[in-house]
Amino acid sequence: MSPDDKWRHRESGPVVRPYAVTGGRTAPADGDVLDLLTVIVATGQPAAAEDAARLTPEHRRLLALCRRQITLADLASDIALPLGVVRVLLADLTQLGAITVVRQRPPDQRTGNDVLQEILNGLRAL
Amino acid sequence: MASARSDIAPADARAASPSFIAHKILIAGGFGSGKTTLVGAISEVRPLRTEETLTTASIGLDDLTGVDGKTTTTVALDFGRITLGTKIVLYLFGMPGQERFSFMWDELAYGALGAVILADVRRLDDCFPSVNYFETLRLPFVVAVNCFDDSPMYEPEEVRLALDLDADVPLVLCDARDVASVKQVLITLVETIADRQPATAGRVR
Repeated sequence: MSPDDKWRHRESGPVVRPYAVTGGRTAPADGDVLDLLTVIVATGQPAAAEDAARLTPEHRRLLALCRRQITLADLASDIALPLGVVRVLLADLTQLGAITVVRQRPPDQRTGNDVLQEILNGLRAL
Repeated sequence: MASARSDIAPADARAASPSFIAHKILIAGGFGSGKTTLVGAISEVRPLRTEETLTTASIGLDDLTGVDGKTTTTVALDFGRITLGTKIVLYLFGMPGQERFSFMWDELAYGALGAVILADVRRLDDCFPSVNYFETLRLPFVVAVNCFDDSPMYEPEEVRLALDLDADVPLVLCDARDVASVKQVLITLVETIADRQPATAGRVR
């Protein structure tokens, strides 16, 4: 049994209440609610020692997963924590400058026909 | 204090140009209509948990006996990921179609390209909330009738009539277990999305 599994029951899920790992906070510190497909990446900026000391194991696991660009949905699934919890933890990491959002496309720009064509070609080739 | 820095990873992108572009397609439908099966036919299915604040909509539905003071409930979603080419990743999100989950539809639908509504002809009325929602949102969608072995056979036109679908909403028959069938449903959806594009640049074929 790995340490991660210790507080997780096969049937019932984690024994610890979901928002215990955020210290009871249910809203992101910056008030930003990230979309499921927001792509995040570690900045590689070293955190100040005192900040780094405050990071929980969950923060560290998230940060490790962000070495490569990854969506919020993938992060939450990989780390097996509820979305709301992951949003709170990511906001902490953003405030420390440890992660940043990767801009996917200009906001409000409709998906163009060239993209749709690429998706179609990709689906047909599956 | 080098140890304090050791878990800060080198970034693979500095001002971070995207290494892939994520697109979202919703798979909606009533309970048991085959959403998870459909996603699983074409990609690995991954669980996603959300903690949602309990609303009056779930009172009487979620058994709260013995958990006085519980104010959130866990909603489990499924999603799948299909990598297309080198830069495009298509995400399929299962969207629980029951009205009582409607509080999370907006979040799921945000930024979606379009939606597939999976219909079970034995319980067509399960589709009504999703049809209404996507029509209101003006999000392109297709209705895919999941052909269960023991489901009664209806002509597509009968189903279209029963659901009161607009003429430009495609209705297709599918087998949610079959990858070729699911692929065709998704292709039909993307073609539908392309048809709704303003006719400025180039046609999609």
